[in-house]
Amino acid sequence: MEDDTGRPEVGRSVAEKLITKDKVVILGGGYSSSVTAAVAGVAQQNRLPFLINTGSADDITEKGFDYVFRLNPAASEYSAAVEDFLTTVVKPKTVAILYENSKFGTSSAKAFTESCDKLGIKVVLNEGYEHGGIDYKPILIKVKQANPDVLYMVSYLMDAALLMRQSRELKLTPKVFIGGAAGFTLPEFPQNAGQAAENVISATLWHETLPLPGAMDYFKKFEAKYKKDTEYHGAEAYAAAYVIADVLKRAKSFGPEDIKQALKETDMMTVFGPVKFVSYGKKANQNKLSPYVVQWQKGNLELIWPKELAKTKYVYPVNWLKVWGYE
Amino acid sequence: MTVFLQSLASGILIGGIYALIGIGMTLIMGVMGIINLAHGQLMMVGMYITYVLFAFLKIDPYISLLVSMPALFLVGVVIQRFLLNPLMKIEAILPENQVLMTVGIGMVLTEIARFIFSSDYKSTTTAFSSQVFFLGTISLNAPMVIAFVIAVALTLILFWFLLKTDLGRSIRATAQDKEAATLMGVNSGRITIITYALGAALVAAAGTVLLPIFYLFPDIGGPFTLKAFVITILGGLGSTVGAIFGGVTLGIAESLGATYFGMQYREMVGFVIFLLVLIFLPGGLKRLTKI
Repeated sequence: MEDDTGRPEVGRSVAEKLITKDKVVILGGGYSSSVTAAVAGVAQQNRLPFLINTGSADDITEKGFDYVFRLNPAASEYSAAVEDFLTTVVKPKTVAILYENSKFGTSSAKAFTESCDKLGIKVVLNEGYEHGGIDYKPILIKVKQANPDVLYMVSYLMDAALLMRQSRELKLTPKVFIGGAAGFTLPEFPQNAGQAAENVISATLWHETLPLPGAMDYFKKFEAKYKKDTEYHGAEAYAAAYVIADVLKRAKSFGPEDIKQALKETDMMTVFGPVKFVSYGKKANQNKLSPYVVQWQKGNLELIWPKELAKTKYVYPVNWLKVWGYE
Repeated sequence: MTVFLQSLASGILIGGIYALIGIGMTLIMGVMGIINLAHGQLMMVGMYITYVLFAFLKIDPYISLLVSMPALFLVGVVIQRFLLNPLMKIEAILPENQVLMTVGIGMVLTEIARFIFSSDYKSTTTAFSSQVFFLGTISLNAPMVIAFVIAVALTLILFWFLLKTDLGRSIRATAQDKEAATLMGVNSGRITIITYALGAALVAAAGTVLLPIFYLFPDIGGPFTLKAFVITILGGLGSTVGAIFGGVTLGIAESLGATYFGMQYREMVGFVIFLLVLIFLPGGLKRLTKI
């Protein structure tokens, strides 16, 4: 086990260490897309199977890397349920998109922009930002001027919290705030954003109330052991560990070719949903899953869409100034 | 107009904190003639001290200034006394091997922090962290304003110290002409230790007031070392007044750049100014004044 520290160059070197020095038979992990892409390159070069559980930029499984398998859907597929929610409930005319200018951010924002064009929603502002900023007010005040119905943001944890905190400080009030998964679903998000996290909507890939075997059980076990909530990122990694265990059991030997073959033949149910690696479009060895929509309600992350699976009703419309304690 | 004023206000506030970060580096630069490339990492250590006091003892971040500053002063003393000063005596191929040493110190500090705290993000949330007040249409958040006020206060105290006390005068004398100062009876070895420690304490203060606004992880030092470097060059190497102007200029430039060019060029704006200053105004903003 090595820490990639969120930097591609570190990810690359620890992957090389694991392969050449520790002689591992399979790599698992990959959180940040930029790091995942670097590690995927190393795995392919060394002909060692790599099962990705989180890194989601589209092009990672589009490079024709036959040793790279991905459990989670690609970034461009995250927003499908959100789009459905928007067209059914919010019916927005305009949207502003802010995204981190990383692999994951640009990949998600591009896909969402294309969807908006298709749905006839006008994109009034579409801007990237550099991760790790202290002050997002310059960009948010521009959003406020553009006055969109929807503010869609693709951000990692701390940027997400700062964006929401500073939106509150500027009294920036679109009809809905929507996060493109990642930072917006983590339990640390409301801890850091405080009041400003309330009623924020996000795309997600998993929720403990979904009718999946073991989902609730996993959620409770995690809560008991780590004394905090978990969400889709945790479920992805948990499921990936089961897939790897299953693959190693089925593989004829621990040689890379046999493990690759076993990965290809994977067809199992996990807490994260069914896992089966298929090739479609430009993608290879990609698991296909449908996304969902969640909303922070009273500090809890509730599943609100699709309607037939939702246990909690969405809060909409929202009086932001009241939620934020101004009134 | 609102957009402009809001960006300007944000820029000035963040500029105050940048100035505090830059002053420490410029002091060290002035006295020892080296760029302290562990500067941001020292700030990171100060932030972790603040975080630990907050998380385990529930001490308010602003009160922990009283701990983080002396603690980093001591760290500074140790670094200068045992790691940097011995290098001055050694004849090396590279004349500036103290600078290389600071790079190493920065890396070691980062990895120690990762070893103890892991790479996870840490932050402090306090009662006032979400308080906002409005000046007309401009929104200002309380922690940012408090940070700015503390930065200004510490800068004023530093100026009083440099101008009015014997020790401060000795530091300025060493910065102006080390050999002459030594001949006049200034113990320059001791002065370098005090200066480095003072620089470390100032950047620790910057880290402490920044924590309630921002967040913390082991790699946070690097970007701030770069910022401090840009501010030092902008202000004119070794000029404390220059560092203040450099810090505020960088803050405003980043903020307006983010508004009018786009947030993704935030870092670029700083470095473009950095290059322009190097080309057209070598010596920095100091050249424009007589101080």
